Amino acid sequence: MNKEIKLSVNDLKISFRTDAGKVQAVRDISFDLYKGETLAIVGESGSGKSVTSKAIMGISAGNSIYEGGEILYDGQDLTRIPEEEMHKLRGDKIAMIFQDPLSSLNPIMRIGKQITEAMLLKNKANRKEGRVTFNKTLAVLSDTIKKALAEKPMAGTSNGDVDKYIKTFDAFNIQAIKLENSYNDARTAAQEMIAQIDDLLFMTENKQKVDVVGSLGLIKSRLKEIGDKYFVADYADRLKAHAATLDGITRAERAKVSVFDFAKKLINNTASKNEASPETVEALKELRKTAQEMLDLPEYDFFRIGYYVYKHPQTDLSRMPADEANEMALRFLNEDFMDSFMVLVKQAVEYSFNKNIENKKTAVAGIESAIAFFRKGGFTAQDADKTVKRVTADVNAAIDPLAIVKDNVAYTFGSAFEREVEKYFFYIKNNPKEEARVARQTAQREALLAKGKKVDWKIVPKSVIEPEEQIETIVTVLTRVMDRFKADIAAAGSFDADKRCTEIIDFLKEKASQIVYTLTKPIAKEKAIKLMEEVGIPEARMRYRQYPFEFSGGMRQRIVIAIALSANPDILICDEPTTALDVTIQAQILELINRLKRERNLSIIFITHDLGVVANMADRIAVMYAGKIVEYGTAEEVFYDPQHPYTWALLSSMPDLDTNEKLDAIPGTPPNMIYPPVGDAFAERNKYAMEIDFEMQPPMYEVSPTHHAATWLLHPNAPKVEMPKIITERIRRMKERGGDRG
Amino acid sequence: MANQEVLLKVEHLCQYFRLGRKDLKAVDDVSFEIHRGESFGLVGESGCGKTTTGRSIIKLYDITSGNVYFKGERIGAGIRSYQDAITAARTDAAAKIKALREEKDADPARKEQIREEIKQINKELGDIVDRNRALIRGARSSSKDVDKRYVETLLKALEAEYAPKFDAARLDSEKLAALQKEYKNRCRVAKKSKLITQIQMIFQDPIASLDPRMTVRDIIAEGLVIKGITDQAYINEKVYEILETVGLVREHADRYPHEFSGGQRQRIGIARAVIMQPEMIIADEPVSALDVSIQAQVINLLNDLRDRLGLTILFIAHDLSVVKYFSDRIGVMYFGKMVELADSDELFKNPLHPYTKSLLSAIPLPDPVYEKQRTRIIYNPIAEHDYTVDMPSFREVAPGHFVHCNDAEEAKYKQQLK
Repeated sequence: MNKEIKLSVNDLKISFRTDAGKVQAVRDISFDLYKGETLAIVGESGSGKSVTSKAIMGISAGNSIYEGGEILYDGQDLTRIPEEEMHKLRGDKIAMIFQDPLSSLNPIMRIGKQITEAMLLKNKANRKEGRVTFNKTLAVLSDTIKKALAEKPMAGTSNGDVDKYIKTFDAFNIQAIKLENSYNDARTAAQEMIAQIDDLLFMTENKQKVDVVGSLGLIKSRLKEIGDKYFVADYADRLKAHAATLDGITRAERAKVSVFDFAKKLINNTASKNEASPETVEALKELRKTAQEMLDLPEYDFFRIGYYVYKHPQTDLSRMPADEANEMALRFLNEDFMDSFMVLVKQAVEYSFNKNIENKKTAVAGIESAIAFFRKGGFTAQDADKTVKRVTADVNAAIDPLAIVKDNVAYTFGSAFEREVEKYFFYIKNNPKEEARVARQTAQREALLAKGKKVDWKIVPKSVIEPEEQIETIVTVLTRVMDRFKADIAAAGSFDADKRCTEIIDFLKEKASQIVYTLTKPIAKEKAIKLMEEVGIPEARMRYRQYPFEFSGGMRQRIVIAIALSANPDILICDEPTTALDVTIQAQILELINRLKRERNLSIIFITHDLGVVANMADRIAVMYAGKIVEYGTAEEVFYDPQHPYTWALLSSMPDLDTNEKLDAIPGTPPNMIYPPVGDAFAERNKYAMEIDFEMQPPMYEVSPTHHAATWLLHPNAPKVEMPKIITERIRRMKERGGDRG
Repeated sequence: MANQEVLLKVEHLCQYFRLGRKDLKAVDDVSFEIHRGESFGLVGESGCGKTTTGRSIIKLYDITSGNVYFKGERIGAGIRSYQDAITAARTDAAAKIKALREEKDADPARKEQIREEIKQINKELGDIVDRNRALIRGARSSSKDVDKRYVETLLKALEAEYAPKFDAARLDSEKLAALQKEYKNRCRVAKKSKLITQIQMIFQDPIASLDPRMTVRDIIAEGLVIKGITDQAYINEKVYEILETVGLVREHADRYPHEFSGGQRQRIGIARAVIMQPEMIIADEPVSALDVSIQAQVINLLNDLRDRLGLTILFIAHDLSVVKYFSDRIGVMYFGKMVELADSDELFKNPLHPYTKSLLSAIPLPDPVYEKQRTRIIYNPIAEHDYTVDMPSFREVAPGHFVHCNDAEEAKYKQQLK
């Protein structure tokens, strides 16, 4: 797979503590989510779909227990990070759309506020975080350069020089940030002004009465704030003229307001309202045009200009068109600073990378010895602890601090390894207890039965994992990171240091601009209105001020989607987003989600019980039953070549337009997960069940590299079973239809 | 399967709700017929008036205007149209009289003639008012009369049934007394019966429609109790029988609704409707709130019941694949109006109204290749129709295929069908 893995879930196990016992909601599920794809999770209610998604969001119910497994995202294991860390990801990187739009909206808050809330909060957090990351990355870079120099000295470059370079880099970045800040402030003011003009014009167009004088006052104050020399450049005179006109029309508008209005204003403390006169509208439109022109000009690249200004504090670049200025500053920057700095950075990158490869080799050796150590068995807790510490240190040393794309496996190795080893000792201690409990309960039950009494409770099956099995799990954890390292070592030859250098500088630049970028309420409002238009809400500007109850179901769901997208997430989890909606609205919402996925390159986890819905959406489908994934594959594979009887049952229980025969309903209900079945969970409702289905859980069989199913029917010795006629018929029809279309 | 006997006939049904000063036209001039033994599907977006239509038929709302006939009897009638007619006639007459009076002042010569004319107008107005008032009275009393007539027929049937029995038991006084008691009991029950109980309803949400404090037995038997049956043994027997009919077991009778899964709860809802031995069932989105696999169970159950008990079903849903699978004929509603009505195969093969086309194009199918090519047709009523001059009405374009259209569109649709 060459696609980038965004999120990966490994052997996740979640239970719920209830009065009746422990409900095993999710049992050992694993899947990967690639960038820009839609993964659909399909199953009946109670199959653990929603539990999985909630675990990813970190919003599981209070009585849930994470029994094992991991959810890897961006070098972090989401099941283990503290709530503060999760808080940064939730909604920001991973967003969720719930089934019932009404219950996920606040009924007493206006729609606009709910959409902008997240944007404003995120902006604040981002600025803080940007500063921290910038400083940290720069420190790491400086450190590595010094180390590299100590290893391989360069003529005429001492440690002091490096400090100077880093200092210069930092200083001109600060200069750039200052310039950009002022530039951004001016831009913001212009944008806010446009927003206010838009509001006023919108109200006037709709014949509503507005406090014209007050609004004009606001617009004027914004106009005054547009003072940055880079931003204003050639427009200073025109802006002055506009300001004069504004003064004129304000006077004219004020003259229109009667004494009576003023009196009312004094008494009621309410604005005197009026309709704007045509001249005012005209003048505002002109002003808006100018401001928009200014905003549409190419932007300066202050990273480059910052250096120039840092070196030549006296010069004024503001008269130079942005393109030229950028070009010139870049040349200067490269000649004067960047070229030599880049040499250093490149050396550091190469040094760090080579060092890492060395470290990885040591780590691999260490891991191999650790595997041997664990395989041999009979170790004490102290020994194991030592090994854990040693290997973890090795692996941590092998993580390249200058790699921008984090390696999930290596980053979470330490905690995963330690946990699995701990579990080994836990099982050694706990297994006898568990055996004793089951023996005791069985004896009790049998005694009661022997007395002829009715026993209405079942024995909770023992959850015993043999220490030997656990060692295998430990070895898997070790092998995984070892394989990763070996692959890295093998790929070392094709390493592109230049690319890595650019990545680092880009990363620093991005963080710097994150610090500078401020979002004010009026701009957030404009953004929200744009977002609302993007998700297909008509008359967004008017709707902005409405309450959730004033919207229909489909519109509410669109708002929920807009809120989810407001923070620009990487991953969107849709938990039955269309179940409460009817066909036409459902189709619209699905189209919307599909379009957004394409435009924003989102990764989507789509949860539903309706297979018809996912045919359109999904790239890959995972079918879940009783907390396990029973079949997964690409959409085509699951629909045209389903393997698991449960998938057959799901497909055949829904009628399509050509179905005339009796539907194959799935008899009964899903099993009670307090007492999970020993064998295949679906066996009891499955008409193709074999004896082994009641005794052993089937492993995952591979149908094709992308298609897997957990059913004994795929075992080489299993009898050949045809899938139900209703499905074969349908697949035949679908193929014909597909053939017709070419 | 369906014969041509009309079981339910809905004529110009209107159901308005007060919404401030204006009226919300939830159902506006809808007419259709349902034949005995058939399953009639009603589809449309949420808020288009499907559920309101169902509820108006079963008289959960007082209908605003129009008539509902069941087995030839008028069970529901609205009076708004008559009231409107009276108001319209009055304003009309007032305007005319005003004009005439002005004329009279201007031209004293025609005084007598104008006075005559005014008299004439007033008389006509009086006629219209009287006629409409009579209609209003008729509408108001019709449901009572219907029940009276229904009770009479029931009593007659009972008399006919028991007369030979009495004759046979004439000599045995003990048996005669028992028979008389039984006859009396049944007469009492019959006197309380209402024709409307022949139509029963299944509701959408199986959780909200069952009283959480009643046992399943109470819930199912409630209809019988209200009907006046006091024989506990008989009721129990009936409840057990019906539980088995809908695929539950006797033991379930003493449980509470919360102990059941969604599908089982919906079965209880169905049992509650079926125990009244109705001739017709209005199923209001009975599967929308259920999981796919449970949906199939409930649909199969309804189909079974239909075959076994010969029920007529009005099936309201928004899932078109389910409606297509379940119904013989389908009516498509859009904003309170019926826009198209046809046999289900015909409707899916030759959809005529643009809204129907848009609705059909939105059905998701479990076929990825097809799905990725599917383009949804968007229905925009303003761009689609020009009703400024030529007013639309509900017309039969082909035999059994009705569309809401005007003359130009009718011609166009007929062209399409050829």
